[in-house]
Amino acid sequence: MTIVRAQKTPDRTPPLSETSILGWMQKNLFSSFFNSILTIITLYIVYITVSGIYIWGIADATFVAENRRECYNNSLTGACWAGVIDWFDNIFYGRYPREEIWRVNFGGLLLVLWMAPLWISKVKGKIFIGISVILFYPFLAGYLFSGGEKGLFMQVMVSGAIIAFIANMLNVLTSRIKGQSLSKFLISLFRQSNASDKSQRNLILGVLVISFAAVFFWQTGWSLEGVVWTKWGGMFLTLVISGVGIAASMPLGVFLALGRQSKLPVVKVLSTSFIEVFRSVPLITVLFMATTMFPLFMPEGFVLNKLVQVILAIILFNACYMAENVRAGLQAIPKGQSEGAHTIGLSYWGTMGLIIMPQALKHMIPNIVGNFIGLLKNTTLVSIIGLFDILGMLRSISKDAPWIGLHKEPLIFGAIIFFIVCFSMSKYSRHLEVKLSAGNKH
Amino acid sequence: MKLRTKITTLVGLAALASMGVSGAFAQTLEIVKERGHLRCQVGAPTPGFYNLDSDGNWYGIDVAICQAVASAVFGDKSKLEIQSVTTQQRFTALANGDSDLLSRTATWTLSRDTRLGLDFMPPNFYDGQGFTVRKDSGITNAMQLKGAKVCVTTGTSTELNLTDFSRENDLGISNVTFDDFNVRDDTYLNGGCDAVTADKSALAGNLAAFPVPADHMILPITLSKEPLAPAVRQNDSQWANIVRWSVFALINAEELGITQANVDEMRANSKNPSVLRILGAEGELGEGLGLDKDWAYNIIKNVGNYGENYDRFIGDGPQGIGIAREGSLNALWTNGGLMYSPPMR
Repeated sequence: MTIVRAQKTPDRTPPLSETSILGWMQKNLFSSFFNSILTIITLYIVYITVSGIYIWGIADATFVAENRRECYNNSLTGACWAGVIDWFDNIFYGRYPREEIWRVNFGGLLLVLWMAPLWISKVKGKIFIGISVILFYPFLAGYLFSGGEKGLFMQVMVSGAIIAFIANMLNVLTSRIKGQSLSKFLISLFRQSNASDKSQRNLILGVLVISFAAVFFWQTGWSLEGVVWTKWGGMFLTLVISGVGIAASMPLGVFLALGRQSKLPVVKVLSTSFIEVFRSVPLITVLFMATTMFPLFMPEGFVLNKLVQVILAIILFNACYMAENVRAGLQAIPKGQSEGAHTIGLSYWGTMGLIIMPQALKHMIPNIVGNFIGLLKNTTLVSIIGLFDILGMLRSISKDAPWIGLHKEPLIFGAIIFFIVCFSMSKYSRHLEVKLSAGNKH
Repeated sequence: MKLRTKITTLVGLAALASMGVSGAFAQTLEIVKERGHLRCQVGAPTPGFYNLDSDGNWYGIDVAICQAVASAVFGDKSKLEIQSVTTQQRFTALANGDSDLLSRTATWTLSRDTRLGLDFMPPNFYDGQGFTVRKDSGITNAMQLKGAKVCVTTGTSTELNLTDFSRENDLGISNVTFDDFNVRDDTYLNGGCDAVTADKSALAGNLAAFPVPADHMILPITLSKEPLAPAVRQNDSQWANIVRWSVFALINAEELGITQANVDEMRANSKNPSVLRILGAEGELGEGLGLDKDWAYNIIKNVGNYGENYDRFIGDGPQGIGIAREGSLNALWTNGGLMYSPPMR
């Protein structure tokens, strides 16, 4: 006689208290008398807040009106979003000529298209994409945004940028469809796959030169209307300042950090004093110094573009913070790493570039992104020195005759925009951390 | 020894730099003409005087002065770069040559006129400090403000005037200071203070935007004199003349009844020699200024006369802030105001 069951006992369904919402609520919200009271009080506070915001911001709010008086006629207590909506162009593009706004949008779109392949799987030659963005995009965007006469240098850079962009897009196509990079595809197209390296290289060079010549002659035919930088503003200006600031302060910070750790006394002293001086001074002081004091020392009639002064000030200021972040990362790398790199014969730059930096930067991602977010928010200080960045524009709404006194709604709108941008940056950094540390979960 | 050489060099450089700053700008007109546009300085947007509209264009009665000078020099009011400069930097930016002209609600005072290297031009707006109170508070006279809390924006002469006024009359007013006039007004509206003080033009403009304007009123007392005037760098008489007479041309045109709409007709048909002279149909008034004879015609054609601009930006126009002109200091002298231009002949 056997008492062994041949079949597995069927799983019993979990008790109701584990699966139902009621069970969850009982466990988490109403587990004791005290907790129940807490829950009810909290719910009441949440209700008051949310309903207050809802009534003010949506239910009683005015979205379409000619001026603030009409908003008041609609409701004395509701929000007046009509003013913010009326000022959308100013908030996003500043005083940029309205019929040229497409250039700003197009410039932004180009950057997105250019960078997007970096995140698409199976695309070959991502390093080249990265390099081409850094090398060419600033010039193309700079010309798109400011327009005017193209000097020879600008013509070359703009042509280069156009070629690089087209090559980038074609490369995505060939990578996804044929599974080979654009250069490999070209070589096989001309049936040179078995030719020597040298003739393959010549072929690529030839294609590049011919297309460059074609683009160069094509682009001499057109030019864009000039837009002076004083017309830049709004979100666009904020993104330009912080974008350039982020892109330039990162490498500068890395060099400053290396300089501070250097064994060469001059480099070390210079880097250290530079970092300490700029770090000990508030950003607003640096900005005032750059914009008011600087012109006094320049020759008569010489007026350096204020935007350039501001961007330089922000880069220098932020590079110091970046340098200290990077230095912290460098110190976290055990000495054995650089010693090991030396034993296999790597030079100083090889050690730093291939072994130390990648590890150090990876450790410091949260700090570095935190720094970027800080920089983005710091750029609003430029509104104090008279540039109309997004904050400057938002504050100007309350001075415009139809909307006099309308100041809460614009600032809340600005807060929402900043939250969206900063929160997505921090989310992305979290994603990067997880992705890069996939191999070494501690 | 070495250090000494260094110090000497530095001092020398500093001296050179300061010389360059003080003596360099004798010929603003040449510089402006060569550059091809006028750099005119305003401040952070201020209702009525200089603001941005939702299309990103500057407008206001001080901007009109900028446009008038640009019209006088170039015959084109768009050859103009409006610079928005902070209060702290305003006089530096004029002194170091960044701006050619300052047209931004700056009060003309003796110490500013003598110590900052500026020359003030004829005022284009006469303002004065006042109080706004709630009608139901029963206050009808500033002397009733005993022990009151008064909201005021900080860092301007407004705050000092209030303190002086309180001391003089032994009122014991406590100042509640703010950085931003919007927050000041919100506090007042929510009962945080009994009165608001500011320049009367600003008070009137802000009051018009209160939820129920009829619940508030501006007290008749005026605490201070605030003649708001454009300014230029010192020691450039030619440029000062151009700006001065551009302001006068606006006022004179109103007095003579020349408007933006009828300026062409007046130039062709008027029998009044004063009108013909100012519009360049007779005589050579522009010569003395270093401008062509159409300079004043261009101002009126492009910008309009003083009264038209007042109505547009300060008065009841669509972009105005609703401050009555009648009976105020800003009426023409013929109507009992202070707007008076020397004859243009």
